[in-house]
Amino acid sequence: MSAVDPQDKNPKIEQAGASDESIQQVHSILLREKPEPEENHSPMPLFLLGFISAMVLMVAIYFVHNSGGLSQSFSFKQAAMVYDERFDPKNAPSAGAEVKIDPLALGKKNYASVCAACHQPNGLGVPGVYPPLAKSEWVTGSEERIIRILLHGLQGPIKVEGKEYNSAMPAIGPGGYNFSDERIAAVLTYIRQEWGNSAPAVTKEKVTEIRTKAAAGRTTAWTSAELDAIP
Amino acid sequence: MASVPNLAASFDPATSPDLVKRAELSEIDASTKVPALFFLGSAVLWLLVGTAFALISSFKLHTPNYFGDIEWLTFGRTRTAHLNAVIYGWSVNAAFAVAFWLMARLSRSVLRHSGLLMIAGAFWNIGVTIGIIGILTGDSTSIEWLEMPPYATPLLFVAYALIGAWALITFRFGKSGHIYVSQWYLLAALFWFPWLYSIAQIMLILEPARGTVQALVNWWFAHNVLGLWFTPIGLAAVYYFLPKVLGKPIHSYYLSILGFWSLALFYNWAGVHHLIGGPVPAWVLSAGIAASFMMAIPVIVTGINHHMTMVGSFSALKYSPTLRFIVFGAVSYTITSLIGSLMADRQVNEVVHFTHFTVAHAHQGMYAFFTMVMFGSIYYILPRILLKEWPSAMLISVHFWTVAVGITVYVVGLSIGGIKQGLEMNNADIPFLSTTAASVVTNTIPYLLSRSLSGVLMTIGHMAFAVNISWMLLRPRAPQATTPTLFQNPPEMEVAR
Amino acid sequence: MNRAPLIFLGIFFTLAFSWTGIILTNQLTYGKLEPIVDQTENKSYPEALPGLAAQGKLVYQDLGCIYCHSQQVRRPGFGADDKRGWGDRQSVARDYIREGRVLLGTMRTGPDLRNIGARQASRDWHMLHLYDPQITSKGSIMAPFPFLFETHKIVGQPSPKAIKLPAPYTAVPGYEVVPTPRAEALVAYLQSLKDSYAYPETRNVFVEPASAGKMEDKQ
Repeated sequence: MSAVDPQDKNPKIEQAGASDESIQQVHSILLREKPEPEENHSPMPLFLLGFISAMVLMVAIYFVHNSGGLSQSFSFKQAAMVYDERFDPKNAPSAGAEVKIDPLALGKKNYASVCAACHQPNGLGVPGVYPPLAKSEWVTGSEERIIRILLHGLQGPIKVEGKEYNSAMPAIGPGGYNFSDERIAAVLTYIRQEWGNSAPAVTKEKVTEIRTKAAAGRTTAWTSAELDAIP
Repeated sequence: MASVPNLAASFDPATSPDLVKRAELSEIDASTKVPALFFLGSAVLWLLVGTAFALISSFKLHTPNYFGDIEWLTFGRTRTAHLNAVIYGWSVNAAFAVAFWLMARLSRSVLRHSGLLMIAGAFWNIGVTIGIIGILTGDSTSIEWLEMPPYATPLLFVAYALIGAWALITFRFGKSGHIYVSQWYLLAALFWFPWLYSIAQIMLILEPARGTVQALVNWWFAHNVLGLWFTPIGLAAVYYFLPKVLGKPIHSYYLSILGFWSLALFYNWAGVHHLIGGPVPAWVLSAGIAASFMMAIPVIVTGINHHMTMVGSFSALKYSPTLRFIVFGAVSYTITSLIGSLMADRQVNEVVHFTHFTVAHAHQGMYAFFTMVMFGSIYYILPRILLKEWPSAMLISVHFWTVAVGITVYVVGLSIGGIKQGLEMNNADIPFLSTTAASVVTNTIPYLLSRSLSGVLMTIGHMAFAVNISWMLLRPRAPQATTPTLFQNPPEMEVAR
Repeated sequence: MNRAPLIFLGIFFTLAFSWTGIILTNQLTYGKLEPIVDQTENKSYPEALPGLAAQGKLVYQDLGCIYCHSQQVRRPGFGADDKRGWGDRQSVARDYIREGRVLLGTMRTGPDLRNIGARQASRDWHMLHLYDPQITSKGSIMAPFPFLFETHKIVGQPSPKAIKLPAPYTAVPGYEVVPTPRAEALVAYLQSLKDSYAYPETRNVFVEPASAGKMEDKQ
């Protein structure tokens, strides 16, 4: 509600508005519009109160259950180091709990992470640039050779499934991506058994053996010719 | 509930009981003419610029080699130029114009010191121009919603300081003792924005906070620009134009109060939900999620208030362009906010975070709600400050239908595509990219194409809007009393617009 | 009655509330987080970016890479970040404390890049991929960046830095495609992105109260 009546305060406007016929014409747009908005005072519906109370209660419970340790420790400093909302300081994980990991799952994950960028998720590589792994004789053949390729990398021309490729592959083992023997074995097991490949799994021990004995001290990438000499 | 013919009769100029109030309004409107025209004109130009960058960006996302070798048109820059042009160019300019006009009318005081506003407007638009050129030439800060390079922001600050000073003066000299709900929203928005903007500038650019505190500042700012700047101004416009066009009071003062204060209390905590799953403390995220859930309260309350005001008058949507745009915006506000609350839930967020769903959501808020409300407001304001009618009802109709259908296709398409993208992304058996099998990336392409299609539609609408405005500006004022440009003439001469 | 001062106080306190809670509290609790010095390796983590990589980060920023690539790994079990090999553990605040500008990102139109240096170390791959993503990643919707490369006439010895383009992308005979310093810097930055160190807080994860028993039951 307007508290001030303009008629009392502004006689000039009153005159102008009431007397001048032409204003009515020019200002026809204004004159036809409806009054300035006002508010009714309809009461608030009751269900809203119920709804709001329910929301407050629900959200409070949600926060307490998902406060990432804050509602247990009441320390913002400690809670600032917690990124998992379900974390409970009373049930902190013990350090020594080792979880057994399926080598195929570990291999798949590491393949997706590192290898798939060149060899592609489908193992077909990029024609003319990165050789395929699916059905590749290098992958399903001698584990001696493929372990060496992953450990130290590969350079120079190589023939895969009858086609010539010439790109460098970096070392996945020490000095390159620094994969552990376990991860290398897992990746190899995965690529030897995926996309219709079916070669035996590669063990972590076999990788360790080649790294520390057969190819000990090697730091440079292999060439296709060198690998041909290995059974 | 008054029926349309009754209302029409009661405001026939010849029998109008409050001619004096109208004369006063006319004086107020006249005082806003120059600054409002300046801001609205800049807004519409920026809308066209922003639309052009939007189209380029949208095409580039499914056809990456389109303009692929032009550095300043690379996706990362055109997309950013689009965002800044439509936010700081179109939306802020339009928001300023509508806010000034509403402030002046609601405080029943002529707009003083319009020179101050013109200087502010000049600074603002020069700042935005420099900022966008900076982004295109490679000086983007890569802070979302704050990409403008540091040499552009001081201009924006000067502009805003002038506008803030002006707003205080206007409010101070207001004649109206009662503070209407729109004024609360305007006051709050004008006060909140500089606080948000200066904290963000200080803690991100001048004296950057360490590590992911930056991310918290970033999203506290970016979400609040929507929630505490555009939303209040959009709602202020809805709260003004709904009752104004219908000639009915707002349903309930109490609901208005509850809606305003619950929005003020909860919205500003909600922004951190953009970081769910990220390297910030879990408790902050949970607090943000809780606040996002609580946002259902102001949204439902405001929705009820608007709906109850509309009830009985839906037939007016057939005639009044302003009402049609405003109602489209108000309904979108309810829908988009409730979806937003849902998106903050961790299980939902796990899927939709990082996907095109969020892009759809952002456009639903900024376009389907805010921009539509601004369009509606402009259709009401311009005839009053220019004292001319809109030249073409057909162009208004084209504008409404292209943008309404366009934004609907946009939001629905990208939302479905985004959910699909999220579900597939969370299933590691589906490759991220593959040409031989279904992959996350290739499966989004049909939805990206639907977005480009909707973009073309909206571009047509914006051109129709721009042509109508230019035509209106250029044509002479009619010497005699005129009738409003409506979608169709009501059976009895309808007076609302 | 003029309620303007009350309204003003209200709008002041509501924003002050979230500013205190979201920004001030966190600035105070972890705004001064320090690197961790590992005694066995005699190194502090996270490591500072090498100079060239720091320049590359500016290229990353100016080209707007952040709009399609996030740099944050969600915890195992929340999304498929770990299963896709984007990172083994949740990214934590300490990972970012050396970064003048934190580029978490909010979109994954492309894959997460937080550990791209650990996942793809090859300079050659990155160069080909930036020159035209279709070479290494057919079907990609990533923008090409040919303007980060220069095509030169080969004078004397071919440049050792020239990239080896496969057909049909090869340059005209007698010409070679050489990365600009910006491309070199950007690749150095990408190669530097890896969060390898397991800070103590990365172990603050949720465990089922009777985890041992339950896990065996499942298997």
